[in-house]
Amino acid sequence: MLPRYALTIAGRIFNQIVRDRRTFALIMIVPIVVMTLIWLSFPKELGMLDYIAPALLATLAIFFGFLLTGISFLRERSQGTLERLMASPVSRLDIVLGYLFGFFTFALAQTAIIVFYTIYVLDVHYTGDLWQIFVFQVVVLTGAINLGIFISTFARNEFQMVQFIPLIILPQVFLCGVLWPVEQMSSALQWVAKFLPLTYAVDGLREIMLHGKSLIEVGFDLGILVAFTVGISIITAFTLRRGAGN
Amino acid sequence: MVDKSSDKLAVEVEKVSFNYSKLKALDNLSLQMPRGISFGLLGPNGAGKTTLIRILVGLLLPKEGKIRLLGQSLSRQMAHLIGYMPQQHSLYNELSVAQNVDFFAKIYRLRNRSERAGRVEEVLRLVGLWGRRNDGIMKLSGGMKQRVSLACAIVHNPPILFLDEPTVGLDPELRANFWQYFAVLNSQGVTIIVSSHTMDDATHCDRLAFLRNGKVIAEGTPNQLRQAIGKTDATLEDAFLHFVRREEKNVA
Repeated sequence: MLPRYALTIAGRIFNQIVRDRRTFALIMIVPIVVMTLIWLSFPKELGMLDYIAPALLATLAIFFGFLLTGISFLRERSQGTLERLMASPVSRLDIVLGYLFGFFTFALAQTAIIVFYTIYVLDVHYTGDLWQIFVFQVVVLTGAINLGIFISTFARNEFQMVQFIPLIILPQVFLCGVLWPVEQMSSALQWVAKFLPLTYAVDGLREIMLHGKSLIEVGFDLGILVAFTVGISIITAFTLRRGAGN
Repeated sequence: MVDKSSDKLAVEVEKVSFNYSKLKALDNLSLQMPRGISFGLLGPNGAGKTTLIRILVGLLLPKEGKIRLLGQSLSRQMAHLIGYMPQQHSLYNELSVAQNVDFFAKIYRLRNRSERAGRVEEVLRLVGLWGRRNDGIMKLSGGMKQRVSLACAIVHNPPILFLDEPTVGLDPELRANFWQYFAVLNSQGVTIIVSSHTMDDATHCDRLAFLRNGKVIAEGTPNQLRQAIGKTDATLEDAFLHFVRREEKNVA
């Protein structure tokens, strides 16, 4: 069945967030606060921030995308509206795509704030094209949003969902080349890193921002991230339980 | 006596069984619900009422048995013929009353904006909340949320309405109001299937099925069920207890 109602669901999510002013303000302000704290904590003279900034941009995109969508989707489930949607003519794909489109706007705004703030206010140097950085981040975000929806299907309440952060996000921060190169880790950990999306997000964004490479040149990283996103969307659509099949 | 021809039946449940792991929730249950009436599923907690409703709206697949709605086998394509009000309020707290109802109108294929706006106004007037249409859900009392939930379930004019314990937590006045809304819907030809464990709700239904341990232990009009126990002053509660004891004797 074609996803005919995805935009209706996306519109509803948009209205929900815009009407919840505190959430809306936090979505916009928190990334700035986080990046400022990171900037303050790094020694400026060593150029370390320039090296770590691309990795942080990717990590924060995954973190916020995952958290925002995961909690929100969980609420859809816990407040019973998902059950109502499941009994309506909407398909599972409608729901997954609706969430993707709905949160994409906010996640993108958040990413734009982080990128612009990091480059123009914190004065982190970059050599690649700004638009290519954005396109790459869009792919990273899309994957993170879908990951959030997918993981939320395993949580029964917000408390459980928050527990998934140290399980899903934190190991990636240590294993995916954010803090030190993947090549410096043991071969077993390098093997694990190959299966984690943040590895490709960090690698791709660093290549674009530090070495001025194009999206085509980071095509391998981009391809893996796209495959991850599509794969996780399909699995999520199947994981949403529904009695009568489509 | 119920007319058994399919064109007069809104819902047909034929030998349906459902298990939650090892727990048998529905046991070879059969029921026929005629069109245009209020049909009550009465029974204590755990009798299988919610499970049956969740099967009838397509949320659960029965292990065995057949379901027909309006003479056709239950399928996803029939979702727009069904209105469903779950036990929880199931509303978007951040949205206003009208935005909630409008969203459900959209996903039930009411595409035309003016037609949709008219229908949202109509159902909100029916449940007496048109004056509160711009209020957020969080500002409403429990009874008001129930009414918004009902409005969301009927906004697309479904011929069959499934209401899972719609009057739980309502004060007597609101409960009476709800039954007035249901009477209006019945008069428009809507079939209402309502689950409840209160005998006050039962007295408002045109037909009743008493459920216990996933089985139908009695079925008929409220008068038929009262008369069946042979006392002229019997209440539906007396009737329910009579059928429970009879069932226990049969099992023993």
